[in-house]
This record gives sequence, C-alpha cells and structure tokens, in this order.
Amino acid sequence: MNPIPSFRGFFGFIFAIFLFTWLGFVVFPWLEIGHLPPIQDEGSTDIAPWDSSGEAHAGERIYAADGCVYCHTQQVRPESSGADIVRGWGTAKDADGKEVTRRSYPRDYIWQGQTFLGNTRSGADLSNVGERFPDAAKLYSYLYDPYILNGHSSMPEFRFLFVTQKISGQVSQDALVLTPADAPPAGYEVVPTAQARALVAYLLSLKKGYHLKPDEAGIPYVPPSTKS
Amino acid sequence: MATLFPTTVAPRGFVSTDPELAAIDASVRWPVLVCLLSAVHWMVVGTFLLVYASSLMHPQDAFPILGWFVDLSDNFSMFTYGRVYPAAIDCLVYGWASTAGLGLTIWLLARTSRNPAHSPAALMTAVVFWNLGVAIGLTGIFMGDSNGVELLEFPAYASWLLWFAYAVLALWAIATYLCRRAGNDHIAQAWILVALFAFPWLYGAGSTLLDNRLVPAAGGDVAHESWVGSLPGSGVMQGVIDAWYVHGIYTLWLAPLGLALLYYLIPKVSGLSMRYGSYAQVAFWTWIIFAPWTAVHDLVGGPVPAETVSIGLFLSGLIFIPVALIGISLISTAFSAEHTVGHHGGVVFPFLVLSSVAFVVTGACEQILSIRGAADLLRFTMFRECNTLLWIYGFFSFIVFGSMYYIVPRLLDFGWRSAMLVRIHYYTSLYGILLVIAMLGFGGVMQGRQLEYPDVQVTINSVNDVCISYYIAATMCVSLVAVGNGVFAFHLGWMLIDWLRLRVRGNRLAAEILMEPYEGDIPAAKSEEVTA
Repeated sequence: MNPIPSFRGFFGFIFAIFLFTWLGFVVFPWLEIGHLPPIQDEGSTDIAPWDSSGEAHAGERIYAADGCVYCHTQQVRPESSGADIVRGWGTAKDADGKEVTRRSYPRDYIWQGQTFLGNTRSGADLSNVGERFPDAAKLYSYLYDPYILNGHSSMPEFRFLFVTQKISGQVSQDALVLTPADAPPAGYEVVPTAQARALVAYLLSLKKGYHLKPDEAGIPYVPPSTKS
Repeated sequence: MATLFPTTVAPRGFVSTDPELAAIDASVRWPVLVCLLSAVHWMVVGTFLLVYASSLMHPQDAFPILGWFVDLSDNFSMFTYGRVYPAAIDCLVYGWASTAGLGLTIWLLARTSRNPAHSPAALMTAVVFWNLGVAIGLTGIFMGDSNGVELLEFPAYASWLLWFAYAVLALWAIATYLCRRAGNDHIAQAWILVALFAFPWLYGAGSTLLDNRLVPAAGGDVAHESWVGSLPGSGVMQGVIDAWYVHGIYTLWLAPLGLALLYYLIPKVSGLSMRYGSYAQVAFWTWIIFAPWTAVHDLVGGPVPAETVSIGLFLSGLIFIPVALIGISLISTAFSAEHTVGHHGGVVFPFLVLSSVAFVVTGACEQILSIRGAADLLRFTMFRECNTLLWIYGFFSFIVFGSMYYIVPRLLDFGWRSAMLVRIHYYTSLYGILLVIAMLGFGGVMQGRQLEYPDVQVTINSVNDVCISYYIAATMCVSLVAVGNGVFAFHLGWMLIDWLRLRVRGNRLAAEILMEPYEGDIPAAKSEEVTA
C-alpha cells in the first residue's frame, strides 16, 4: 500500500497535526499566560512581582553562558507535586519581614529577560536564593570555592570569575575572605570581575517575597480593579 | 552468540548486482561519505566532552588520574561544566546524530525513489556548511555566547549556517522524492518527509522565539512595550517552547530518521518482508500525533497552565500505541530473520535489532514519565539524562552504526577490516547503554525518592551524597560507550586508509590488504531485489 497516496494531502495532514500540537502546546498557554501584567501587592504600595536592577539583568547573560541552568532550577512546585516547599525553596520575606511560602506562578517571571526554569536538580532550586544568601560576600566566596561554606557541595568552583591582583594601598572593599588553603600569596587579593558582580546581582535579585494568590497569578487574569 | 558475527568479513563484492542501484550508490558516494565521516568525528568529540562533563559531577578521588579535569574547570571558563555539558549534547545531537541522519537520508531517498543524485556538488556544499555551523556553534558555546536554552545553545551566527545547509539538503531531498520513478513508494519515505518537515518548524520557531538577543535583557518595560514582548518567547513561555523544541527534536526529527532506516534496512538485510506491515501507517500517524506531547514531561508541576499539563499527559500517555505497533513489527521481523542473516548481514543485523529494542525501551521510559506521579518523582533527576542518552546513544547511534556497516562497504566496494573490532564495538556499546539505563535510570529513582522525601532534615547535600555513586557509575558507563565509539572510529579510519592505499597503489597491494579469505562466496546483493 502506498503510504503517501498524494503528496499534497500528506503534507496537509502533517501540517494539520503539527499545527494541533503547536496550538495546544504553545499558542494556548501563550494566550493564557503570555501577557500577564504586574499587579499591586495587597496591603502595600508595591508592585508585584518586584523588578530587579539593570546589573541583575546583565547577570542573566552570565547565568546562561556558564550554564548554571544545567544543574539549578528556578521553579517551586506546589506541595502536591513534590517536596520543594518542605526544602524551603519557596520561602522568602515580604516587605514587612513576614515569611511568604508559596509555589511559583507564571506572573513571577514577567520581568525576566530570560527565564531559566531548569530541568535538573543536581543543585538546589534558586527561586529564592537571594533570600537564603542575602549577603554578596557569601555568594562570592561560594562561587570561588563552595567548600568554604558547604563541605558537601558538588558545585564546581568558578575561579575564572575572579582575579588575583596585587594590593595597592588599601585592600579592596570586596576582596574575598578566604581560608588559608585558598588564600592568595601575601600582598595579593582576590576580587570579583564585572561578570561575577553581575551574576551575584542577579542571584541576589532572585527572591519572591511578594504575595500572589492562585487566582491572581494563575489564569484567567482578573485585574484588581474589577474585583469586588 | 557464535552465529551473531562471522569470524571474517568479506573484503569485496558489495556493489549491488542491480546496475541501477549500483549507479545510485555511486552518485551519492561523496556527499554521503563526507557526511558520515564528519558525523563520526563529532561523535568522538561529543562523547569525549560527555565523559569529561560527567567526571565533574562527582569527587575526583574515584579517578585520581582525572584530577586535572577539575583544575581545568575551576580556572578556565571554557572548561566549566555548564559550558562543556551543553556543548557535548549539542555536539551529539547536531554534529553526530543529525549529520549522520542527513547523510543516510540522502542515500535512502535516492535509493527508495530509484533516482540517482543530481548535483552532488550542491549536496557537498551543504554538508560543509552544516559542519561549519556545528563547529562555529560549539566554539560559541565554549566562548560564552551560549543562549542557555537547552538544545538551542548555538549562537545566532552559527544558526544561519545550519539553516542554509538544511535548506539545500531538504530541497534536494524533496525534489529527489517528487521526481522518483513511478511506483517506488516506501514507508521510509513518509518517515523522512515528516522529519524534513518537522526540523524547520522546530528549529525556526525555537531559534527565533528563544534567541536571547531578541528578548531585551533590560527586561521590564522594554519587554512589554516593544513588539518583541508580544512574541510568545517571553517569561515562562520560554520554558514551554524549549520543552516543545527539545522533545520535538527527539521525537519528530531523530526518531523518524532512525525509523525510516529501520523500516528499510531490516527487510533489506534479512530478505523478509516486514511482519505486521499493515500496522506501519497507523503507527506512523499515531506517532506524530502523540509523541511530540512528551514535551509536557518537562512542565509537570511547573508554573504553566494546568490544562496544558493534563491534556499533554493524556496525549503523551498514548505513546504506547505507536511504540507497541512499531516495536512488534520491527522486533518480530528481526527475530524471525535470525536464521536467514549471514555473511555481512551478520555484521549489520545485530545493530538493527539492538536499535529496535532500544526504541521500545526509550518509548517505555517516555510512557513512564507520562504518569503524573512518576513525572513528579523523576523530572529533576538523572532519569532525564538517562532518557536523553537513550535517544542519542541507545536508539539513534545503533541504527546509524548498523546503517554504516551496511552502506559504507557499498559506497566504497571495500569491506570492513576486522570482525573482531565489530564485535568489540557491539559489546562495549551494548553494555555501555545497558549500564546507562541501569545506573542513570535507577539512580534517577533513588535521587527522586530523596529529593521528594517530605522531611525538612533532607537537604540537597544529603541527596547528592546518595547520588555520588550513581554519578561515578555514569562516568564509567559513558566511558564504556566512548570506548565502543572510539573502536568504531578507528575501524572506519583503518578501512578508509586501506581503501585509499588500494586506490593509489593499485592491485599490487591487493593481495596484501585482502589477505583475509572470503567467507563463503555468497553474492552480497542476494537480497537486493527482494524489496525497494
């Protein structure tokens, strides 16, 4: 039996099937979550989600280029899907210092130039890493040598994001505080490059301490003004 | 297993006795050979990169000799895991699998359409551009121009080379099909056409919508006020499109190319017609309807519309229909052919059988992930990498190996040099991929059980402590695969050098090179006329 009785008909069918997949998988979700606007956080004048600085956006490029996404996710699943919430990956503090623990919603990602959902958890989820590491110095030393802070870490060292330079005059403000094993020779210091600064600014910006309720973050979107 | 491989391989006598097929093989000889050789080159490079990346996942104490890998990765941005791993997978998907797939497609379409290749120079140009695209793309990843989007890491300046090469090859292929000799229809052509149609859709949509140069890094207002913000590729949609792309590449690009070769070669080599051949068309249509929905495995539980996930899991859960139909057909034909295959078929056939079985196993893995509970448990673990390696090394590599053992002698009229090397290649690849399934698959389950254990005491550190032994095992499995691949590449090189020596220095060397006796004098083309 001829598998392709008519070339045009064959392509017509193929096209229709691909279109079905495309519509169902890409266009339909896009109609639902492709144009989510920010909303006003309840009980404050803040806009949710929070936007981040220009340097943080520059850090997305470093995050992409050095492949952080191949070990780290940036999505917190609901409790019904896994233990993400139990691990504390969904916890961050809001503007008043109260803890917000929740899953990720599509609206969380609307300001991001590039979104790194990730598919592998060889490392921890980074959705709220800015909350767990509020201090840039700690992140720098973690990137330089993860063993300083975490003896079990399987993360590679990112020493190429730092330079060892001769101390001229005073020690630089952001010079790394290192263990004797890692310390540079006397008279030298280890300082982050512009790339490391951008990456750390990006990581620090990753915290989702604002309130999103399922009905606001999910679909369909109901603007706050139309709610009673 | 003694009958699995002959003790010697025939040195000559491969050209088809059908002068028409011989002419077709001769017409595509150089483009196909260049394609296959460059593909094997990328296979070696990609496999080495994968071994390197894999060895960074665990403490180096297990392999002290590899300690300098860590020094490289710590101090040079080029060699960090996050650049080498995507480079390895891209190298294997675009450099190895796609290049080999394109080369074999040229040959298969010319043969099934009974249409000798016109303008092989254009094909040659396209093949060169494709390889250039892969090389520049990989360089881009190493230099830090990666997009960080899975399987679309190649920077834009490499993509257009791939585009150009693909356009030439695809237009040639479709023209070859349309100008076929009347009556030469084969299910393999349908599989090839669907792959040729899927790739530009996938790669076009993926590379334009997910190119991070089009999504302004400034984010915020820019992303929402410019026309770019109205494209689907912003926010969480990037993850959705990438999932669709990645699984599309496996299920609509690589799988159809591989299945086309299986549907052609199994009857051809065995001399039997395909059993349950009437299922072939149902399997074809159900595959292209259900298989791309496996993309939803990467979205379960994620920040995406729940309806998409539910519908996707339902549709991808029906993948067992085409997998079962294709599997029954291929494997039962293969097994019933066991007693008819001899001679060079003894070299080709084991790989075809292995590839058919690997297809079913890969389909079963996708089927498992279509269960929501299983996807929740396994989706962030090494089970996913197991699935990737099954597609690339398990299913696609085996069919390419089998096809190359069949085709290269026919293109050169020159035999493989050593049955022993084929045997080593076969068993290292077989045990390599079996161990990949065992270690990464089972390791994935163990990792998932730890990751999803609802106890605050469990941390990512304690999860990784459990995984270390599996990561070490994974390095060993991939190394085993690498040994097999290296043996194959060496064998191919050896064969080509002997072939060149024979061409250059004439028949005086023939006696020396062709010392091995013929195994029987069975005409190589015994089964040529049976089908096609």
